[in-house]
Amino acid sequence: MRFRSLLSPLVYGLPWLGGVAAFAGAAEVDLPAKVEFNRDIRPIMSDTCFHCHGPDATSREAGLRLDLRDEALKKTKSDLVPIVPGNVTESEIIARIFDRDEPMPPAKAHKPLTERQQALMKRWVEQGAVYEPHWAYAPLQRPALPVGAKKGNPIDAFVEAKLAEKKLTLSPEAPRNRLLRRVSLDLTGLPPTPEELAAGGRNFFGNGYVKQVDRLLSSAHYGERMAVWWLDIARFADTVGFHGDQNQRIFPYRDYVINAFNANKRFDQFTLEQLAGDLLPNPTPEQLVATGYNRLNMMTREGGAQPKEYLAKYGAERVRSVSAAWFGSTFGCAECHDHKFDPIKTRDFYELQSFFADVKQWGVYSDYTYTKNPELAGFNNDYPVPPEIEVPSPYLAGRRDRAAAELNAHVLAGRARAADPAAAGRWAAWQESARAFLARVPAGWEQPAPVAALLRANKTVPGASPLVTPEGAVSTAKALARGEALRVTLPPEPGPLAALRVEAFPPAEAPNPETLTRARAAAAITVAVAVRAASGKERKVPVAFADANAKDPRYRDGAELHGIGAGWKLPAPRPAEPLVGVWLFDGPVTLASGETLEITVTGETTVPMRFSTSPFGAARPLDVAPAALAAALTAKKPSAGQRALLVDTWLLSTADDRAGFDHHKQLAANLRELRDGRTWSLITQAVAEPLPVRVLPRGNWQDETGPVVLPATPSFLPARRESTTEKRLTRLDLAQWIVSPENPITARAVMNRLWLQFFGVGLSAAVDDLGSQGELPSHPELLDWLASEFRDSGWDMKHMIRLIVTSRTYRQDSNLRPELRDTDPANRLLASQNPRRLEAEFVRDNALFVAGALNLADIGGPSVKPYQPDGYYDALQFPDRKYVASTDGEQWRRGVYMHWQRTFLHPMLANFDAPSRDECAALRTVSNTPQQALTLLNDPTFVEAARLFAARLLGDPQAKTDVQHLRRAYQLALAREPSAAEFSSLAKFIATQRATYRANPADAEKLLKVGLAPRTPVKLDADALELAAWTNLCRVLLNAHETITRY
Amino acid sequence: MQPTPPLADYLRHLTRRTFIGQAARGIGGVALGSLLSSSIARAVEAKGKGRPGLPHFAPKAKRVLCLFQSGGLSHVDLFDDKPMLHKHAGLEIPASIKGTQRLTGMTSGQSAYPVVPPLKTGQLCGKHGTWISDLLPHIQTIADDICIIKSLHTEAINHDPAITYMNTGNQLPGYASMGAWASYGLGTENENLPAFIAMVSQGTGKNPGQPVFSRLWGSGFLPASHQGVGLRPGANPVLYLDNPPGIERTQRRAQLDDLAKLNHQRADELGDPETLARIDAYEMAFRMQTSVPELTDISKESPATLDAYGPEVRKPGTYAANCLLARRLLERDVRFVQLFHRGWDQHIAIGRQLPNQCHDIDQPTAALIKDLKARGLLEDTLVVFATEFGRTVFGQGKLGDPAMGRDHHGRAFTVWLAGGGIKGGMEYGATDDFCYNITENPVHLRDLHATILHCLGIDHAKFTHKFRGLNVRLTGVEEAHVVRGILA
Repeated sequence: MRFRSLLSPLVYGLPWLGGVAAFAGAAEVDLPAKVEFNRDIRPIMSDTCFHCHGPDATSREAGLRLDLRDEALKKTKSDLVPIVPGNVTESEIIARIFDRDEPMPPAKAHKPLTERQQALMKRWVEQGAVYEPHWAYAPLQRPALPVGAKKGNPIDAFVEAKLAEKKLTLSPEAPRNRLLRRVSLDLTGLPPTPEELAAGGRNFFGNGYVKQVDRLLSSAHYGERMAVWWLDIARFADTVGFHGDQNQRIFPYRDYVINAFNANKRFDQFTLEQLAGDLLPNPTPEQLVATGYNRLNMMTREGGAQPKEYLAKYGAERVRSVSAAWFGSTFGCAECHDHKFDPIKTRDFYELQSFFADVKQWGVYSDYTYTKNPELAGFNNDYPVPPEIEVPSPYLAGRRDRAAAELNAHVLAGRARAADPAAAGRWAAWQESARAFLARVPAGWEQPAPVAALLRANKTVPGASPLVTPEGAVSTAKALARGEALRVTLPPEPGPLAALRVEAFPPAEAPNPETLTRARAAAAITVAVAVRAASGKERKVPVAFADANAKDPRYRDGAELHGIGAGWKLPAPRPAEPLVGVWLFDGPVTLASGETLEITVTGETTVPMRFSTSPFGAARPLDVAPAALAAALTAKKPSAGQRALLVDTWLLSTADDRAGFDHHKQLAANLRELRDGRTWSLITQAVAEPLPVRVLPRGNWQDETGPVVLPATPSFLPARRESTTEKRLTRLDLAQWIVSPENPITARAVMNRLWLQFFGVGLSAAVDDLGSQGELPSHPELLDWLASEFRDSGWDMKHMIRLIVTSRTYRQDSNLRPELRDTDPANRLLASQNPRRLEAEFVRDNALFVAGALNLADIGGPSVKPYQPDGYYDALQFPDRKYVASTDGEQWRRGVYMHWQRTFLHPMLANFDAPSRDECAALRTVSNTPQQALTLLNDPTFVEAARLFAARLLGDPQAKTDVQHLRRAYQLALAREPSAAEFSSLAKFIATQRATYRANPADAEKLLKVGLAPRTPVKLDADALELAAWTNLCRVLLNAHETITRY
Repeated sequence: MQPTPPLADYLRHLTRRTFIGQAARGIGGVALGSLLSSSIARAVEAKGKGRPGLPHFAPKAKRVLCLFQSGGLSHVDLFDDKPMLHKHAGLEIPASIKGTQRLTGMTSGQSAYPVVPPLKTGQLCGKHGTWISDLLPHIQTIADDICIIKSLHTEAINHDPAITYMNTGNQLPGYASMGAWASYGLGTENENLPAFIAMVSQGTGKNPGQPVFSRLWGSGFLPASHQGVGLRPGANPVLYLDNPPGIERTQRRAQLDDLAKLNHQRADELGDPETLARIDAYEMAFRMQTSVPELTDISKESPATLDAYGPEVRKPGTYAANCLLARRLLERDVRFVQLFHRGWDQHIAIGRQLPNQCHDIDQPTAALIKDLKARGLLEDTLVVFATEFGRTVFGQGKLGDPAMGRDHHGRAFTVWLAGGGIKGGMEYGATDDFCYNITENPVHLRDLHATILHCLGIDHAKFTHKFRGLNVRLTGVEEAHVVRGILA
């Protein structure tokens, strides 16, 4: 209806009114018959009034508060009444709004009201100034279906009712293949295969579509797709984010999320486990892994950083992330002052933070000489970020089993050598010499008398003679300084040597971490071995692997180093058994007469060490077993096991089959890498005494004048729970309150974000702000209905998704409807589906899947490293980082597994709008940039994918002609047939490409070399040119906007 | 091939509504303008236009060049000498000066805080006789062109928060960088190059230097199209710029033409306006394949020019080489060019490190200013020579030890500006006798941001972007003031 903002003559009479002209130009504006506070007035007030007349008392002006009706109806100091319901002329705010000289809001706020806004305010007061509680905080009640709703999916009833108001209807259902591609990409992040398209097509109408939905929901890839959504919210990343942005070990948390979606874990349970899994009775390892959520805040190790400042940062971040994730709220504002627009008080902020005050953490995860950190003695930039737990990883266990089987097969096959007549002589001779050695040295380790010297800058320090104990152990009086080394000369009997043993005898008492320097605390013994000829010339003895019976872990880039080859950190406290380390040589060395073994020890140590040598190698350093060997060598009739031991030892001691020896070494290293299928993960550990949390005036962590607060749920939400002096609420209490039926906001926030996943925009578009400054939902009743259904269904995520994707609203076509340009330009009424560009991870998955290259063999596992431009981490230090792209099948795993480096996110992810996940990211922007074009065209991942796609087409035994290849290409990439125009244009294109490569075959070769995937099994020896030509055609298809969009 | 009329018409319609959308639709819901996730706005965005209504007033500068000295440049040694430092050399800094302000963990436990005078002598330079260290002999010669602000201050005292603060207006990640704001507000003047380009070099003072992060040139909550594009040394200056091996440029063209054809056909059928923006993005990418190599090819620079920048200019990836590239970018009207030079973090061995670090930047910086001036570019280019904080007047470590250095100092430090909108040949603000506290005209880094925007014709208070319910500004939520005293 039309409304003319005419002014009552009375108003003219008021002396403080600026004059007539303010109203003279008032134009006709559209106004609703009934002005609604939430829809019409709150957005205006929030945007233009609340800053000075809202919840924040400190910035409130003139004592006027407009967010609460009672306050707004009270007389102010100046004896005027802001709002007199039904009486425009008596209402001061209306007068001020229309004041020509000094209008409200004031000019300095840069927020003048539009005429329509002014008129709305006026009409609202006329109509009685009725307030409504903010929609998101109001109790959640299941709304009735719209009057006249047909049977069927309630989602459609709500959407169609709104459309009907505008005399509109839904679009027709999308064509079958388009819909199947849409729902496949939406539910699994993967397009349908041609086979699925064919099968799905058969009984698509009726129950067929629903069956497809159920198939997709039960796919293990559903969890991978949904995890991308939650990992943004949970700010999951592989690195700590601040300063040196070091690695952290937490991939099991990602597996937890994937598994939770796949198992359709109830969302309430999912919430409890992440926020408070450690506080559940007898928590399972899985529940502890889930608490990694609380540890995904950014952390620092920066030198000079003040722990207290960072503890304040971590605390504040948790409030922001938890409130964003579960409330869709912007608590962040309340860190320094009461929220300007929403009823979130500063106290609410710190009370929420206080729930997390028991999380075991350090402000600075390092040990600096100038700020000691005894709990983290020795910690530097290479260390992990505790607390962590060790847990089994099914992915690693699977790989471990495969690697172990491979190693085992290699060993079994190698034993045949003993039966090989060509080797018979050497085999027998070795047994003879082994027997002789063991007869001479029954212990199996020869212990020649050492001669020791102290070296400084590789020169012997005269007069500094290290101590040699009667037992033959060597030590120095003072710890070795940088540039110093202990040189030990051993004269074993001439002959072959395969291993060096070091026995260490540290003092029983561990050093005091309070006084240890970081370097000292991290100190380790390193051992280098050489053979010295009588001439004085030395040759280095390479070491295959070294390990000890006991050691403290050492780290590089956050990962534990294997063995002790790069340094042996003696365990503290010292274990009961003697300490033994063994260095296996990389193939035996043979000492000639007069030659000595030279051992160079470095590292800050005074520990006495005793050295011995052996001619026997073994699969693992500590497996060298002289006693068992002696028994086998002297047995009259060796058992099968004894014979196997002898043969294996022969091969490993002599490297008789050098290639086999090297292969063994590699396979053993591969197996070690899998750490027996176990890994570490950051967890929440509760401390007995939670840190006191104060309200920080203006967020200043140095100001300790604010009151200490105890955990309490937000004051503005229903069913508030508060700690008492007797009973302090815990994270578990918080989590339970969050998923209680009385809390209205969580179900709304989660359903609103879920909707975004399937329609490209939330029902309230500002999914990260359900407060006053956000947006009233386009379909408030639908959102409340979804939220109620979610809560009442037992927080059943798959149920909700199934409801959404089987609705006709979801299934309708996404074609633009130009006739709606005026009524609904942004398609908020949902008279059609919205096309959605795939998210970064799925842009990658889709291309690799179409190419037949995506590695879908396993679910879960550590992060993987796809190709990345060289030097991309050059500016990343502490420690320096070198990115090594995965070289095995991990290269082609899904995007959800990509290594997430917060400060330098992989450029492919960053270019396609993936967030760095510094904090909770509920909303990804969707950009369309030249960088995206360059990525799809030139990133080796996509060039290689095009090559594999082409090979897949050409290798299809069913297809012979260009037409057939093209049809298949379209089926794979776009789930449809090419049009005639597309046919003709691509046919021409392939012809040009052929001609180009025929003229320049070398170029074809170059193109086909991109990527690590082997040149395909397709028979193309004669026609690499053809493959190159089709690779380019496939690049066109993989770059098409349609390919990276789901319609 | 052009889009069919109905679609083109619709697209125009949508676009127009988007940009007047704030006013047209503002009530009862989020204005269209903030619905950047909807596909509508970007066809025009890809063309690089700025925000409607910007600039707010006539700008003095069209472009910005930021020479960022990463790690914390020592104002004490290079720009802010005081007689008292020599008089008081080796003596404990007076408690009245040191006050109770916080120190970093590195020096907070020191037993003594002896005053250490500047490493080298200096000259009174320019007509106004401003002191500049002899470690910067070339910069001494441009004293009349630059305005030295001696009273900058920040609350942050550690690198990560401080450098993030200086570049994005917030100590925490997630905010848009200065250059991203400039691109967002004003768009680009060159359709062949990104509006914001960043380059990183490693200094010889401290190697490796403190890390820098992509968020320092990131777009934060602004659309990703405004993020700074990194320009790297070597054959592949922009990530993924080069065609794969075995693809010639003509082939690429044919491929793009075919792709555009396919995209157009689908756009017609499905009516997805985003497709048209995609075609534009591919065209821009294609143009960048020519414009970037042309940009980085310095073979046509005269020997005199090259010599002016010093010998390092011929070594790609150095600060000197980046300075020359900066001039070439500014000539091409790139809106915001930012250099990061790492290695200014002289906690230890400042006596050895600082001269090297200064040598890296002295000649090229001065040459760049002179070069811009000679080409008439300085008058409408704002140059900002900045760092994240200064360094303490007292030593870190033992006095007289060659390993001695200086710790971070955010309470007062020096930056300088030049070019469009700025009064050259002056000093602004002052510190006390120990160059420790500000005594005159304090300039918070927010004020610097406000001033940069002002020179670009932007009122910082009115230049906002709605993010999580807040109208966010580069200058943040606290008050900020344009530093009027330095404006030309």
